[in-house]
Formats: sequence, structure tokens, C-alpha cells
Amino acid sequence: MSIRTTAAVLVGRAVRVAARLRGGGSAIPGAVALRIDPGFLERTIAAIPDGVVAVSGSNGKSTTTNMLAAIVRAHGLAVFTNPSGGNLPQGIASALLSEVSTSGRLKADIAVLEIDEGYGTRLAELLKPKTVLLLNIQIDQLNRYHEPDRVAAMLGRVAAASTDGLVLNREDNFLVDLDAQIPARPGRAVSFFGGLPELVLPAGHGVASADRFGEAAASPGSREAAVQVVALDGARATLAIAPVDDHRDGGANREPVEVVVKLPSRGLHYALDAAGAAAAARSVLGERFRPELVASALDALATVYGRGELLEVEGERIEIIMMKNPASLQLNLDSLESAPEQVFLAVDEGTPDPSWIYDIDFSALDHVDGITGSKAWQFAVRFGYLGIPVGSVDLDVRAALKAFLALPKPASGHKVMILNYEQMMDIRKILGFKELEGGGAS
Amino acid sequence: MSAALRILHLFPTLLGLNGEGGNVDILRRRAEARGLAVEVVVHNGGAVAPGFDDADLVFIGSGPVSAEIIAQPLVLEVAERLRALAADGRPFLAIGAGFQLLGTTVTLESGEVLGGAAVFPVTTRHGGTRVVGDFVLDSPRVGPIVGFENRGSFVEVGPHGTLGRVVYGRGNTETPGYEGFWEDNLLGTHMHGPILANNPVLADSLLDLARLRRGLEYTIADPDELRAVDERARQARATIAANPLSE
Repeated sequence: MSIRTTAAVLVGRAVRVAARLRGGGSAIPGAVALRIDPGFLERTIAAIPDGVVAVSGSNGKSTTTNMLAAIVRAHGLAVFTNPSGGNLPQGIASALLSEVSTSGRLKADIAVLEIDEGYGTRLAELLKPKTVLLLNIQIDQLNRYHEPDRVAAMLGRVAAASTDGLVLNREDNFLVDLDAQIPARPGRAVSFFGGLPELVLPAGHGVASADRFGEAAASPGSREAAVQVVALDGARATLAIAPVDDHRDGGANREPVEVVVKLPSRGLHYALDAAGAAAAARSVLGERFRPELVASALDALATVYGRGELLEVEGERIEIIMMKNPASLQLNLDSLESAPEQVFLAVDEGTPDPSWIYDIDFSALDHVDGITGSKAWQFAVRFGYLGIPVGSVDLDVRAALKAFLALPKPASGHKVMILNYEQMMDIRKILGFKELEGGGAS
Repeated sequence: MSAALRILHLFPTLLGLNGEGGNVDILRRRAEARGLAVEVVVHNGGAVAPGFDDADLVFIGSGPVSAEIIAQPLVLEVAERLRALAADGRPFLAIGAGFQLLGTTVTLESGEVLGGAAVFPVTTRHGGTRVVGDFVLDSPRVGPIVGFENRGSFVEVGPHGTLGRVVYGRGNTETPGYEGFWEDNLLGTHMHGPILANNPVLADSLLDLARLRRGLEYTIADPDELRAVDERARQARATIAANPLSE
């Protein structure tokens, strides 16, 4: 390791301390370190003995990465992972800064990294993942990706980079045959996760997979799943996990093992995330994999913020629903048990084009108390046409938040906030929750 | 024929990428709020539904290029019927890929040329830098029009009328100038998503053209619910126009 690396680590860490004191900018330290030593990320990662597992897709990346890291840790491995949302090169480099020695060495057996689908190709080159787990392709950030087909092509390139394992969601229109769409690679094991048709088909809006037009080699749900969601009960799911050496002994005489796992919140999408994490752990660990450790690891897991998280504010519980894109909003609305008594919505420029709210079924809401953020009036128009009453619209986020918090304590015991990512970060800060890194603690 | 206004929604499955079905919903709710019943006829290809040729208003939305290529032969199957509806003065609202396919030709990035339905006298060429961002127009007919632009193509409209002059965004051509096509009963644009949500004046203009041709009356002149939603749309336009952003 060079003096340049040491300088990158030390300066990056100093920037990190400064950024944390100021309360912002968790990717900046990594960007600074990469400027001093451009090879820092690639070299440090390449030295990790068991290599990299990359997790990508439109939705559930942070949640699933968090789950997979916990499962692998429960098997006794030291895991390096990136915190929620830190899924660009500078974000991953920032996460490295807090864990490497000044010579740039990392004490980890394996890296479990969430990667941004838009940067997937570049990150796959940098990180050379042995195993790739792909969750879903949903309508997401069309302002950035233009069409879901482009996301499919980008994730296809990430999948093609995997050398040892490729784990795919068989319920997704694009992923169900992605293995057939990319060049085959000797030694790469392909496995799938999914849910029983009885669970997947009646779910409010299915799994919200983006429509695919043109030829497909397989239809959603048709592939044999290594891990399958077989039952769902509130925030608990039962996963049926196929034995690992399935192929060698034919598998026919060995039954899958069923484990009950805790989810971050209600919802089939969270159950599929857990199935994906279990399937990836099974693929990575091979004979070392123990299904019962999936249950104990997920039981002990804190939620990634904004994903079914409950914040405690002045004695009241506030459920945060993050609307990252249409699919996450729809699936979260579908999983509400009843229309929330008090609802607040905040959406700003982080969602440049909210046109897709006209594709969302908002029937889970019977009113909205307050809307804020620069897109507030566009939401108010949509609710107007739907006949869903809106209490007030105020573009001043602090004032709107204050008014919402001042509402009398709801009988149900909790308030609901539907926020885009940027507003979630801002509002957490306004409410005094300061964690920038670590993805989970609150 | 019934006293309901009939809206023909073309290829909602293939061409409905970004909330564009919302336009049909908005047209229906605005007419119904004023006491005029609406019937929506959907055509996804194949045999035409009864009522296709009696449509009072035609809507076609946008979609990814993969869907546009699949939709093209399906559009050609009904091209003659669509031209007949247009020639008879029935209003059309066509967005993005749907607008392109109702033009005369679409040249893909590969150089391949797709024939269109020739309802609109326009041609499209895919390629160039993609523009993504807020979109603000000034229309000589109805004033400011505000929405979102997300396109990787150019449209040649020749000497014909447009939806408006570009105030923010790009529009039909490489050099920002004018956007879309608007002449008589034909309105086509790349202001995608639910253009009618922010711009109810366009919805009302299309509805008036459709119902007056049929002699259909509104029974409620100025319903409160529309007044409230139109005030919100005015605020939405003002918010975007005051600080338009692009990538």
C-alpha cells in the first residue's frame, strides 16, 4: 500500500468527521479519497478473500443488502457492506474509509454491496462481483432511465459480470429469463427466488414488475425457485429453502427446509426481499449455508430507515413510507391494513416528474391531512380528481410538518408519512434524527 | 347513439408508460362533473370494438421504443379508420410515441423507417441528445402550458401550427423553438405524462370540440369540485414555471 493510499484514507476520514459534524454529505469523504487515490476502491475490494456479492434492482436494494449482510454475518463471516443508499462509487468508498486501516487494508472476509442500477456497469467493472443478486425491474425514475428496457439492459451487464453465482427473481417479467439473455459462463450457478402463485397472483398489484414487450424465454413464476415464500402472516413470512446440493444427488428425495422470518414490515415485497437474501446467501455459502441462521439473523435485524420504519417523536409513533418510485409506493399502500387516520405527504424535486401518480391506485387512503414539497400541488390535483379530501397544501416543509405534528394524537396510536427519499432525509433531520451512515440505527 | 360522450383510448397497455392513462381519466371526470356521461372504448389491437368508429374523442399515449415497434403494425391496421375520424373533425390528443405513430413516418436510431397512420402530417426522427426536464410553453391560443419533457427524438411539423412556443425545455427541434402540433381538431405533443392534469384548459378545449360536434350539453355549468382542482392546477403550473429544472 502506498503513501497515496494512506493520504487518501486520512484525508477522507478527516472530511468524514467534518461532514458528520455539519450533519450532511455522506458521499463526500469517499469522493475526496478517490480523487487522491483513484485506485483506492478497486484495490481494497479486490483484496477481500471471498469477494463481492452485488445487490441491485429497482426496489428493495437497501433492505435486501441489510438482510443478506446479516445472514452472512450469522454464518461467522466478517462482512463489509455499504449503508443504505450509498450505492455509487463515492458512497462505497466513504463506507470503506470508516473500516480500513491507514494502509488501506480491510478486515473483512466478504463484501455485500448494494449497487445503483444506473452505475451498475461501471461498478461491476470496479468491484468484479463473484455473485450478483437482482431483485426486480419496475417503473422507476424515468427521468433518469427513460425506459424500463434500459434498466434491464444495464442489469443484464451486471449479471454478465458474475463469475460464481447469479440469483434472480423469477416473478419479475425481465429477470425470469435474464440468464438466457446474457452470455453463459462455465462455473456460474444460476438460481431463483420467488413466491407461491397463491401469494403472488392475488397481491394487490402483483409484484409491480414493469411491463415487458417482445420475446421472452420464460414467463414470470415459471422457474424452479431455490427459495420460495410459501406463507405470509403480517410481518412474518415462511420461506421454503431448497437443500444446497440439490443438483448432485438429484434433490428429489430431499425436502426443502421451512423457516419463519421476521420482515421489516407487512408486504409481499419484503417477503420476496428476504427470499432473495436467503437465496443469495445459499448461493454464496454453498455447503456452509444453514437455513436456520436466516431466521435468527433476520429476527435480530433493525429496519433500514424509511422502509417500514417507525419513528418515535414526542411520544407519538410515526410510520415512514418511502415512495422511491411507483412500485414502492403502490406496494406500501397495498400493505396498509386500513386507511391511515392521519397522513402526511412530502415530495420535492428528488421526484422530478411525478406523472406516474396517475398509475397509482390510491384507494388505500380516504383522505390526506397535509401535503408539502415542490410537487405538492401536482399531488393535490390528483387527489382532487380522485375525490380524496386534502386538508392543506403548504410548500413550506417546516410549517407543514409542524401543523401535522400538532394534530391530536390518533386513536390508532400512529401517524403515517409518505415521503420521497430526499424529503425523508430532510424531515428526519428536522425531527432530530441525525444518523447519516450505518443504515438502520435510529 | 346514446347521449354519452365516447372516448376512444388506443393501446393503453402498450402505450401508457408514464401515467398517461390519467389523461383519459381526467377527460372523463371533467365531463361527468358537468353532468355529461362518458363511455370509454379501449382498443389494444385485433378486432375493433363496437363504437370505435363512433368515437367523439381519440387519445393515444406514449411508451418505450420496444412498445412503439410492437404497436406500429397494430396502428397501421386501424389507420384508415383513424384518418376517417380525424377528417370528420373528432378531436385527437396524441402523446409521445403515440403521436409519432399517428404521423407519417418514424425513423429509428438504426435508420429503419416505420410507417405511421398519417393522421398528423408530421415525421419523427429518433436520436440526438435526450432532453429530460420541466417543460414550459406559451400557447397563443390558451396561454401558458406546463409539464414535463422526456424525449430522444425530433419532430418535423413543417409549416403547421404548434401547441406553443418553448419557454423552458427543447421542443420539436434541435434548437428550442416550438412544441408539438395543434391544428383544428388535432393535438400532438411530447409533453408527456398527464398533460391535462396541469393544463385543464386543454382538456376543456378537446371536450368542447367533441361535445359541440354532437350537440351534447353540460347540465352543470361550473361545478365546485372542478373549480377547486383547477385552482390546484394553477398553483402546480406556477410552481413549476417559477423554477423549472432539467437534468
